[in-house]
Amino acid sequence: MMCSAGERPDPYDAEDGGVPPAAFASLLEDSVEELYENAPCGYLSTLMDGTVAKINATLLTWLGLRREDVVGRMRFSDLLSVGGKLYHETHFAPLLRMQGEISGIALEMRQAGGGRISVLVSSVVKRGTTGEPLLIRTTVFDASDRRAYEEELLRGRRVADEARRQAEADRARLQQALAVLQQSLLPDTLPPIPGVEAATHYHTASSDQVGGDFYDVFPVDGKRFGFFLGDVCGKGPEAAAVTSLTRYTLRAAAVHDPDPVAALTTLNKVLHQRYTGSGDPRFCTAVFGTLEPDAATGRVGVHLGSGGHPPALVVRADGTVDPLHTPGGLLVGVLPTARFVTTTAVLAPGDTLVLHTDGLTEARTGSDRTSLFGEDALRDFLAAHAGRSPGDLIGALITLLDGFGDGLDDDTALLALGVPADRTTPDAR
Amino acid sequence: MSPLKIVTRDATTGPVLEVVGDLDFAHAPALRERISTLVVPPGRRLVLDLGGLEFCDSSGITALIAAHSHAQAARAEVVLASVPANTLRILQMVGLDQVFTVQPDSDAATRT
Repeated sequence: MMCSAGERPDPYDAEDGGVPPAAFASLLEDSVEELYENAPCGYLSTLMDGTVAKINATLLTWLGLRREDVVGRMRFSDLLSVGGKLYHETHFAPLLRMQGEISGIALEMRQAGGGRISVLVSSVVKRGTTGEPLLIRTTVFDASDRRAYEEELLRGRRVADEARRQAEADRARLQQALAVLQQSLLPDTLPPIPGVEAATHYHTASSDQVGGDFYDVFPVDGKRFGFFLGDVCGKGPEAAAVTSLTRYTLRAAAVHDPDPVAALTTLNKVLHQRYTGSGDPRFCTAVFGTLEPDAATGRVGVHLGSGGHPPALVVRADGTVDPLHTPGGLLVGVLPTARFVTTTAVLAPGDTLVLHTDGLTEARTGSDRTSLFGEDALRDFLAAHAGRSPGDLIGALITLLDGFGDGLDDDTALLALGVPADRTTPDAR
Repeated sequence: MSPLKIVTRDATTGPVLEVVGDLDFAHAPALRERISTLVVPPGRRLVLDLGGLEFCDSSGITALIAAHSHAQAARAEVVLASVPANTLRILQMVGLDQVFTVQPDSDAATRT
């Protein structure tokens, strides 16, 4: 405690006799009355009804009041703010009556100028020789610094809370914008293709990043349908811009010439022109193909070309899996002129063509997440699911992807195009 | 992931870069940077010795393509030496085995 009634100020440490005798003498002459009046804390004594009987100069200065206006005229509670008064009536005074003393209570006092001063108040009831209460002695400490500190802590916390809320809202908005952008890179619905069931899946590895995988299925002319699936190198907004350019270039190219080599050559030219010399080469891998259903036989002809993409897989009804190799098909956009290679296949009832991006085959597996799932495991998996409809096949692949957990750290696009095994009840998925 | 180490030396055919470690998203830019400042005189050969390559993803492939573009702009050629089998498989899949000259080791790659 900084001071208490009747305590003398500490004399200087007189070790080595360092204090001049005159200064020490003046300390001794410092009267108790002087200390009472000008102590670094406020003192007041009140009658039991609260009427101020005595108040020191320090407290009068803090409150901006004159002694004659206070002593005998005001009660202690008159010196308090409205909130302070209420707390005094409901807590402070009853506790003091009950316990005979109370200490360190935070109250607010009124200043003459209309201001407020935060204080810590301690009171003791002085009793007569027979124990009857005579008066209340009160010390008042200026707690404005402490109060300011507490308010600063509270304000800091409010600011931090607000910043956190704002950051969460911003993040949610960003994720929503990215989700919309991602959706714009993929078709909303797939067109119905006679005698063909199509199913797709897009796995987003991170809700904070737009992925670079893409696919589409669309009608080309009266009898053919186009499809493509690919993977733009990189992630983020730049990759999304390439994805968008790639998707619409392939769609537009197919309008003019749906031949896979023509479409991929157009895309190669566009990407190479756009990004060469930018210091930021951008390219993609893609499979582009056409489907030609034959209503008479129920079979579907596939003609596809690939630029640097993992081979599409034909899952035969009997459980064999045929990779459609296109050796030498170059990564799209790397060189001004690129060679693309095509191949053909025929899907019979029960056969499904599966296209994927390497997020699936490069998923890390094993307890230490160091081995890759790989092409061979994918073929085995598909062979074990042969004869299923494209929808079921994609469903099984989604379960497989989910099973990778955090081993799957890349976006993955899946597209399955199949001829239903039983043509009389084609799955209308 | 092991960090990337690039050792440059000069052969009679031109600069030889030994690439040791991982060419992944984090480290491939270092190779791109090194190559962008590399002076390859016209008609000479830039050899990338990949014998110490432990991992190479699409960022690594991008760096190799950047090397190809850089050399081509300088009217020089690029040769890849000691390409690990799995990286060679990736190069074949994306058709780059036809774009790069691939040699079994840097001795063969620096033979005039």
